[in-house]
Amino acid sequence: MKTIGELQKKIRNASQLRISNSLDDSSDELLNMNSYSGVVEYFPEELVITVKAGTLIKDLSQTLRKKNQALPFFIEDDEKTIGSLYATAGSDLSDSVLGVQIINGKGDLLNFGGQVMKNVAGYDVSRLLVGSMGKLAVITQISFKVFPEKLAHERRINQQKKINDSPLREEIEQRLKNVFDPYGVFV
Amino acid sequence: MSTISQLKKSLPKNIVLVGEENTRPFECDGLSVYKQKPMAVVLPNEVGQVKKVLEICRKNKTPIVTRGAGTGLSGGAMPIKDSVVLGLSKLTKVISINPEELTAVVEPGVRNLAISEAADEYDLYYAPDPSSQIACTIGGNVAENAGGVHCLKYGLTVQNIESIKILTIEGDELVFSRDDEGLGLLALMTGSEGLLGIITEITVKLTKKPEVAKLIMAGFDSVRDCANGVAEIIKNGIIPAGLEMMDEFAIQASEEFARPGYPLGSKALLLCELDGSEESVIPDVDTVVSLLSKASSIRVSESEEERLLLWKGRKSAFPAVGRISPDYYCMDGTIPKRHLADVLEKINALSKRFNLRVANVFHAGDGNLHPLILYDAGVPGELEKTEEFGNEILKLCIEVGGSITGEHGVGIEKLDAMCFQYSDAELDVFHQIKAAFDPQTLLNPGKAVPSLHRCAELGNMHVHQGNLPHPELERF
Repeated sequence: MKTIGELQKKIRNASQLRISNSLDDSSDELLNMNSYSGVVEYFPEELVITVKAGTLIKDLSQTLRKKNQALPFFIEDDEKTIGSLYATAGSDLSDSVLGVQIINGKGDLLNFGGQVMKNVAGYDVSRLLVGSMGKLAVITQISFKVFPEKLAHERRINQQKKINDSPLREEIEQRLKNVFDPYGVFV
Repeated sequence: MSTISQLKKSLPKNIVLVGEENTRPFECDGLSVYKQKPMAVVLPNEVGQVKKVLEICRKNKTPIVTRGAGTGLSGGAMPIKDSVVLGLSKLTKVISINPEELTAVVEPGVRNLAISEAADEYDLYYAPDPSSQIACTIGGNVAENAGGVHCLKYGLTVQNIESIKILTIEGDELVFSRDDEGLGLLALMTGSEGLLGIITEITVKLTKKPEVAKLIMAGFDSVRDCANGVAEIIKNGIIPAGLEMMDEFAIQASEEFARPGYPLGSKALLLCELDGSEESVIPDVDTVVSLLSKASSIRVSESEEERLLLWKGRKSAFPAVGRISPDYYCMDGTIPKRHLADVLEKINALSKRFNLRVANVFHAGDGNLHPLILYDAGVPGELEKTEEFGNEILKLCIEVGGSITGEHGVGIEKLDAMCFQYSDAELDVFHQIKAAFDPQTLLNPGKAVPSLHRCAELGNMHVHQGNLPHPELERF
């Protein structure tokens, strides 16, 4: 999958899809994001980088290191893609998210947030979807606030997540799933 | 039985306000050009009473407008016709200060500055500092995701809260924390402008006070040199605690008002605050001074009094402009910093076109512009002209990849501008998120997200990431 158009087409035609990091594209039920990769824009003087979700974290880190900058959140394994980290991360990563481009379960391409530090127009969807495990939408592109290397390190805290097992919370999460993926495509 | 009589019957008499005279103080928030009296105002003393209000309003399908101190600048807390205003300003308990964990647990009506005052004995403070911090409440800060002058280094409200307790419209209590497994519901609630739930308790993060803070003031002969200076500082790995810019008109107004000793005649002024440990701040001050080589004047604060005096000019920029003009309208767009000089030039061109003066103060570090448009509401048509000018500025912000609001919120003020920033499909997601929490649309209805119908009437002028739809068409 190399283009947004291809991704949209696959989502629209699928009855069920699992977003995967394997390079296997042959299955109709797998959506491989690894080949949708690369830095889209990087403005060191703005502390902002925009990357495609399939970019390997180590490649992203290398780009930043050239300008003495770094991602200011905890990274356990930099062989993973930035999209897979976003899908499983918590608030330490979400603090650095400025915007996302996504494709919802209907195949619509949507943008939330952007490349600016301050943006309170509309609900904060780009941070809502952090930790969404690929169950609500396909994340195609993410913009991050980055930090000078020396300051980024002190912000990397491995925050342990806790399960909040309130049935009402579960119900709200299910309703939000239906907002983004009304046909239940993403499994 | 009507909503009013049920409220009166179920709650202490003195917390339910009705009638023209009693509700008038609540008819608007900080955006006073829009006014509407509510059916009633309820000022609960404890969370149990909030639940009661929700129950009565839900049964009667009466809209609820939650309010903190009413200092918001976008009409987010302006009452809706036949609504109940739920004012949380009496819930002012600081429940605990936890210096070991660097947190404080507070009720929503606690003022922003009061948290820092309560934490002061531990040498801690609450970092986000909106300019209304003396008066604004922490509940309102969370509802608006409030900012301030120190966001570049210390973050917005969303990065400075640990957890919140909310009541849903059904009256059920939920806790959202930073360490929750699952969706980012804490972030979703932050900045949701009272449309999704009622915030009843907040655990905020506290920050250690810096050992030392130094303010560098630099005057420039051109806005572009000043903007380039900002980029240089950040490119060199320095993150100032505050990085503020003012244009010639704002420098002049502030100097006349507060006499901080600003360089009159400069086209732009930069205030750069560095804080932290002595050993990091002192060399960084030298670096910044050398990077600002194009400055026509430069001064570093020698004492705490001097630092505060230099800040006083910037912090009094709004009242200073208020003294010059009968009315002013404060904008809140954000842009990528690299477009600062260009955007400012275009704002000045618009100022000539609309024949309205504008003073510019920016949070330059995070690209948050606060152009103040000077007008006279007494002149027929001038408010409308001002709003049109304002919308042109916001379109400009979106065209260069920014946002229509950095920290003031959408409220009722920027509903039209939301149509420029988002497509119908994106707005529809917002409406559905609202419905997931509040299916009857009782919480602050009609605010923050425009109806698709409203955007269609405006001609669907959705501008995205520097691209107008159908750029081949001429526009007038």
